[in-house]
Amino acid sequence: MKKIQIHYIFEVTKKMNEISILMHLLSRKKNLYQIGATKEEILERLNANHKNKSIYFQNLITGLSTYLEPLGFQIRHNPLDSHWFLNYDPEISELISANPFEGKPSLAATLLCTLTLCLKNSGVSSIHEISKLRRKKDVNEDLKALEKKGYLFIDKNSGHVQLTSLIGYQLDMHKLFVKLALKLKE
Amino acid sequence: MTENIDLSEELNKKIEIIKDDILSGKTSLLELELNPLFHDLKDSLSIFNIENYSLTYKNVCELLNEKFEELKKLLSSLNIDEKFFEFMKGHPEDEEISEIFKGCWRKVFHIDGMSLNFLEYASDRFCKERILELEIKHLKKGKIDDQFLLEIPKYKFTEKMTSFFNKIKEKLPCYFEDIFDDELDQMKVYEYFVYLLHLLQLGKIKYEKNTNTLYI
Repeated sequence: MKKIQIHYIFEVTKKMNEISILMHLLSRKKNLYQIGATKEEILERLNANHKNKSIYFQNLITGLSTYLEPLGFQIRHNPLDSHWFLNYDPEISELISANPFEGKPSLAATLLCTLTLCLKNSGVSSIHEISKLRRKKDVNEDLKALEKKGYLFIDKNSGHVQLTSLIGYQLDMHKLFVKLALKLKE
Repeated sequence: MTENIDLSEELNKKIEIIKDDILSGKTSLLELELNPLFHDLKDSLSIFNIENYSLTYKNVCELLNEKFEELKKLLSSLNIDEKFFEFMKGHPEDEEISEIFKGCWRKVFHIDGMSLNFLEYASDRFCKERILELEIKHLKKGKIDDQFLLEIPKYKFTEKMTSFFNKIKEKLPCYFEDIFDDELDQMKVYEYFVYLLHLLQLGKIKYEKNTNTLYI
């Protein structure tokens, strides 16, 4: 009888722990440009090593997402480093000003040039190419400021510039592509 | 149109399997043919089963909608770099570029200011295997001269339980009620029932719910 009671308590706390641990894993900041956790990290933490762990994982994420939606949170996936993380829903993001370049359009422009060149050159660009596309002689200040914020790495010896995964968390790329396509149609 | 066929449950099951396959990565929505599902639904629909079909129709439409979304994403991700270059060729002003980003920023939620020691501890504990085997230790009876109000049982619980097991094992397999057939004293019935529960838990006796049978 005692064993059954313990088992029941264990099952209840297990559900509560799953939510707590998931929330912890999805909202932790690993370093300047990595937030959340990968699917493998989550499954390892929840001790899920059974056959249907992928379906279990999807159910877990969908279940938690349903709980969080009324609170104004969303669960997102960053394809650049395969991390799952939490973010505020778009309406709240607008309210609390998610734009990291508020009042600094120059940084936004340099970032878009870097993004464009990195997409073209399989993830790597150079200071010279960015300067050319940006039609600006000196982009070093902008690049340094972007590096400080964690968006890119600059190899001073080779002059190569590489984006980090941070942009995958903060920017809705799909929305940006759609906006750009609409802009080009005008 | 067939009047008496109701395929709604079968179709719902098919949709569930498809959803599981998509979630586990076995199937891609873009490669999935939804026509057969819609055909089956249309061909078997009649005024007699229309009530059951509304949910099925909704489920198939959800799949179709998700397929459209996937297609939209695929189309918009084609030639992305060319679209960017095309935009940059127009030599847009910094403000214009900044405007493009508007509404595309996401606010990430992270709580690095909060102490997470407990959660770290819980998380570490959670991923370890748990062994909940309970060990029962019996009290040792010692001889003393003092008189006690509490009466110490003559035999240990395990001894009594084993004696009960030896008594009934010849009867097995039998119906659950048959175990208590010879006993009229309700206290004894209760006592035997407790032994039986422990024997079931220890796996010495097994119980088949469907036939209400106890066996070894």
